[in-house]
Amino acid sequence: MRETHFKSLQYLTGIGIFFLVGLHLLISHLSSGEPEAWSSVAKRAASAGWLTIYILILIFGIYHVMHGVRGIVLEFSLPPTAVKALNWAIIFIGVAIFGYAVYIPINAYMV
Amino acid sequence: MEKLTFKVQRYDPDKDKKPSMQVFTIPFRHGMTVLDGLIYIKENIDNTLSFRSSCRMGICGSCGMLINQLPMLACHTPIEELHSDKIEVKSLPNFPIIKDLVADLSPLFEKHKSIKPYIMTAAVAEEIEKPTAEFLQSQEHLEGFVQFAYCVKCGLCMAACPTVATDKHFLGPQPLAQACRYSLDKRDDGAKERFKQTDIPHGVWLCHLAGACSEACPKGVDPALAIQLLKRAMVADGFKLSKKKASPTVAAPLSEKKPKITVPEFTIKKPGAK
Repeated sequence: MRETHFKSLQYLTGIGIFFLVGLHLLISHLSSGEPEAWSSVAKRAASAGWLTIYILILIFGIYHVMHGVRGIVLEFSLPPTAVKALNWAIIFIGVAIFGYAVYIPINAYMV
Repeated sequence: MEKLTFKVQRYDPDKDKKPSMQVFTIPFRHGMTVLDGLIYIKENIDNTLSFRSSCRMGICGSCGMLINQLPMLACHTPIEELHSDKIEVKSLPNFPIIKDLVADLSPLFEKHKSIKPYIMTAAVAEEIEKPTAEFLQSQEHLEGFVQFAYCVKCGLCMAACPTVATDKHFLGPQPLAQACRYSLDKRDDGAKERFKQTDIPHGVWLCHLAGACSEACPKGVDPALAIQLLKRAMVADGFKLSKKKASPTVAAPLSEKKPKITVPEFTIKKPGAK
């Protein structure tokens, strides 16, 4: 049931993105309604809770996008060998994006 | 309407590189169908025109064609319902063409075969091998899947499906609906086996729920619904949430089930009779 699990994760990450990005939007941009001082933005980014939320958004977002791209490419009538190559390419690109992008919230946390 | 203009696709694989269109003008008769028009052309104008038909009443599913850009059964399409005196007829899209309007439906049959469209049950293998009675099924249970059993394998849903159009490996609505039909059947025990065929990269999860299959079906089957039911069953199975199906029950032999009809006693007994 590999594909079923992949697709279920696609739905779950979609729901996760909706709630986590919603949370980010509500708290970071809409809560006070006023522009915030950079120091308070930096302070928020340095909390473990927000670091967890941002990393989760990153994981969910990358999975959702990469699996979506895989689904689109699969429709080009790929033979089984090409599907295997596509799967590895998707994993490689996804991990590479995560490795590169996760630097930003971690760096903000460390500062 | 007195005259009809039929623009018909012609293709002979031995002579033509690609299909072309030929125009025929035929007389209109009240109540005639697209198939009647094609038969008129074949009998009176050009006997080399090839198309497939059999029952002429929407049962056999042979005469599936693309009529005015929509996949339909030619025998089931009255010309008056098209609201036009210009009728364009092509072979079903998403299938190779054998000749003129005859599509090669073998990809459909191959995919249909791959999902094991029959009752599989290991629990009562002996009964399957040497049947003694029928398997019981309630009316309520039958209603859960009976509409999917009306499929006549005409291929219209496959011709209408936008995903089949872009991905020739995609199983498509007909085989997936049949996978659902058999997996929902209480008498069947082979859902897991069937899910292996549908849980592939070109399987059930590639369906985008465009609904074109359900719109096209001439028998009122809703393959889009079947695919959703199949997805639900597969998720439940994948996460071990599905209830274990009870083994199919075999009906009791007739002699045990039904008492012998009692013969009424005579109301007047002869004196001395026992």
